[in-house]
Amino acid sequence: MTLLDVDSIYKSYDEEEVLEDVSFGLDQQDVEVIVGPSGSGKSTLLRCMNRLTEIDSGEIYLNDDEIHDLDENELRRRVGMVFQGSNLFAHLTAQKNITLGLREVLGMPAAEAQAKAMEYLRQVGLEDQAESYPAELSGGQKQRVGIARALAMEPELILFDEPTSALDPELIGEVLTVMRDLAEEGMTMLVVTHEMDFARSVATRLMFLDDGRIVERGPPEQLFEDPREDRTEQFLGELADIY
Amino acid sequence: MADTVETRGTAVGRVSGSGRLVVALVGGLFWLWLLARWAYHNTLLDRICTALGLPDLIRSEYGVRRREPWLPAEPFQSAADSIGSVPPGFVFDRIAGVFELAAFATTAGPELAAGAFITVYMTVLGMLFGLVIAVPLSVARVYGGRIASTAALVYTELIRGTPLLAQLFFWYFALPLAGYFDAAGFVGRNGIPRAAVMVAVVAFTINSSAYQSEYIRTALESVDEGQLAAARAVGLSKGQAIRHVILPQGLRYAIPGWTNEFIYLVKYSSLAAFITVPELFRQARNIASDTFRYQEIYIIVGVFYLLLVLTIALAMGLLERTVALPGVGQPADQN
Amino acid sequence: MEAIVLQSNDWAFILANWEQFALGTAVTILLTITSLVVGFVAGFPAGAIEVYAPGWLRKPVSAAGVILRGTPIVVLIVLFFFALPIPQLGTFIIIDAKVDAFIVATIALGLRSAAYQAQVFRGAIQSIDEGQMEAARSVGLSKFQAIRHVIFPQAIRRSVPGFQNEFTIVLKDTSIAFAIGLAELLTRAEQLYLQPGHDTAVVEVIVTISVIYFVLTFATNRALDRLEQRYAVPEGSG
Ligand SMILES: Nc1ncnc2c1ncn2[C@@H]1O[C@H](COP(=O)(O)OP(=O)(O)OP(=O)(O)O)[C@@H](O)[C@H]1O
Ligand SMILES: [Mg+2]
Repeated sequence: MTLLDVDSIYKSYDEEEVLEDVSFGLDQQDVEVIVGPSGSGKSTLLRCMNRLTEIDSGEIYLNDDEIHDLDENELRRRVGMVFQGSNLFAHLTAQKNITLGLREVLGMPAAEAQAKAMEYLRQVGLEDQAESYPAELSGGQKQRVGIARALAMEPELILFDEPTSALDPELIGEVLTVMRDLAEEGMTMLVVTHEMDFARSVATRLMFLDDGRIVERGPPEQLFEDPREDRTEQFLGELADIY
Repeated sequence: MADTVETRGTAVGRVSGSGRLVVALVGGLFWLWLLARWAYHNTLLDRICTALGLPDLIRSEYGVRRREPWLPAEPFQSAADSIGSVPPGFVFDRIAGVFELAAFATTAGPELAAGAFITVYMTVLGMLFGLVIAVPLSVARVYGGRIASTAALVYTELIRGTPLLAQLFFWYFALPLAGYFDAAGFVGRNGIPRAAVMVAVVAFTINSSAYQSEYIRTALESVDEGQLAAARAVGLSKGQAIRHVILPQGLRYAIPGWTNEFIYLVKYSSLAAFITVPELFRQARNIASDTFRYQEIYIIVGVFYLLLVLTIALAMGLLERTVALPGVGQPADQN
Repeated sequence: MEAIVLQSNDWAFILANWEQFALGTAVTILLTITSLVVGFVAGFPAGAIEVYAPGWLRKPVSAAGVILRGTPIVVLIVLFFFALPIPQLGTFIIIDAKVDAFIVATIALGLRSAAYQAQVFRGAIQSIDEGQMEAARSVGLSKFQAIRHVIFPQAIRRSVPGFQNEFTIVLKDTSIAFAIGLAELLTRAEQLYLQPGHDTAVVEVIVTISVIYFVLTFATNRALDRLEQRYAVPEGSG
């Protein structure tokens, strides 16, 4: 069943076209990995999905609701986001980072919100860090709290913008493991990452974005083994050299 | 966090683009007028001109009260009268009020200009002498031994822990400092202001040195430690390293703080009025008690100070940009 | 020359008048508190306005800030004293200070402090990483909720050092209420040594009030440091 339907969206920042005629769809439980050179518009594309950035034209449907007809805050409750730098609320403990949205957006009573926060912290393996402040957590732990924070709102789709690219190599694994578990549980995910092992083993589809256009899109094996476009082959080849 | 310097409140703040232009224009005219007035009544210039055969070009012989305004008050006053008399209405009364204020300002001009001279004189001297004391003081704090750094600490804490007005009282009323200056014989003559002004300069110098040394101290501490090590590694002595490597960088970091201090002193030099110094605020007070137009003269003198402060902020901003080196000093976070 | 000699009967004079110093100190402390409260109540909204409000509101607020910060506090105090329509209201009991002068001093010191506190708070808000707002919005908080629950709590914590700074500045500047004869510490000090026959006590009187001011600023600074450490949240990138 189609969960997300993106129909010919355009976005430009003063004269500069950042997204041009981008269309694609996600089914429920899909995990789509987006790759592309720096500045190709990956972050912009993700941010258009929860309207942190507003598109110039086109349509985006989330479970048949045009997202621009929805209330912004309602949309964002339904679409979770995990950032490169985690962006945990610096003045709140790990647990309170999660309960804030539950209490203020969903109006959940305190006790219930706390129980729920603990449940999600357990899921990302951090129930013992509930009382820690962000500055007391490692980068990998922060990212996992960020994932728990997004999960707790029980979104229909989660966006990940390079969740591991700011981490030291030895911390990347723990975050990817949590993401892999999520995928196995059937969460629909749109992930910008250059972790090609993750893409190969977890993604249902891979999208190569360049200059604001989708160059090629398909099952990961196909893009890796038998790309249709030269540019795809070249870019993925370079990625393989670096990582 | 715990180790933040006490600043004396941040500077006036950023004036936006168009506001900047207005300040530069009005401020420029204001300074032109001030400088002309100061020159016109300067004894030294008068003597030079007289020697050159122009005895009447500069008139320093008029006492402050007898000086003539250059701008006539009548046009402003008659404008005020005609606007005020037309229809009775809030807006027109306000406009008339502004013209009346302008008329009053032109008559008060000569005295206020004379006051502004002393204000600027005291501030500039206080800042410069203060800097001379502040540099060794801050070096003692950061690089000195136990005794030197403790002594510097006690000095700055004592000064910063008491009000400037109390310090002025101390130097002027409690110590016979003014008497010493009078006894020295050279003050109050030949263009050198009288003893009270000297006492005020002493008070401002000492007060300002404590604050300036704090700004410089944090600036020195923010210079990368590796810099000292690197300087020693090329064979410079500790003193040479501080002199040639640390201070040139540190003093650049200190410029925003220095701007604050300058502006602070312009404003707080008004307290010298209470030890009889005839500076800007005291002139306004005298005019007020002669004319009973308290509210108006205090608005006018407020505008005077505002113009001084804003033009200095603008000028210091320019200075900061001129002496900036790429990568040295981050004025943005010190604001 | 005699004035500088610290005479024991001058110290006796100080001791005999301890009550004047105590009352003056009380007025000074009260005035500091009322001014800071005015400064906080007016300053923090003003700081928020300077960041978030539309131009028609932001511009006049920031212009008022420039005027208040660019004018000497003594000018503000005397101007308000003559311009504000405050009736003569008698004197406070016990501390024996004129009510109207106290109100004028509170307004002048308070508004001036508000202008500085607004800057402190504005700077703190602007120093908060943009990602905090984005993260808050992306869990579904409205802009207002995000400001209230995520931006403000962090900004207020970051304002504490600036606020501490304000505390000492206002405390010391209460002495300038001398200009309108408010019976705070400095004014009372002057009244003491102007008493006939006691002009030799000037040094002792001024030294005494200086010590009082010093103890007050030093003590409040230490107390605020403590407070800050107790309520500190581990800082660092979020
Ligand atoms: N707020 C903005 N204002 C102006 N230009 C922007 C803005 N955000 C992004 N851009 C521009 O849009 C283009 C795409 O940016 P985007 O961040 O989406 O790229 P990206 O693919 O995520 O790159 P990276 O791999 O470096 O994260 C870039 O050229 C960028 O400069
Ligand atoms: Mg990006």
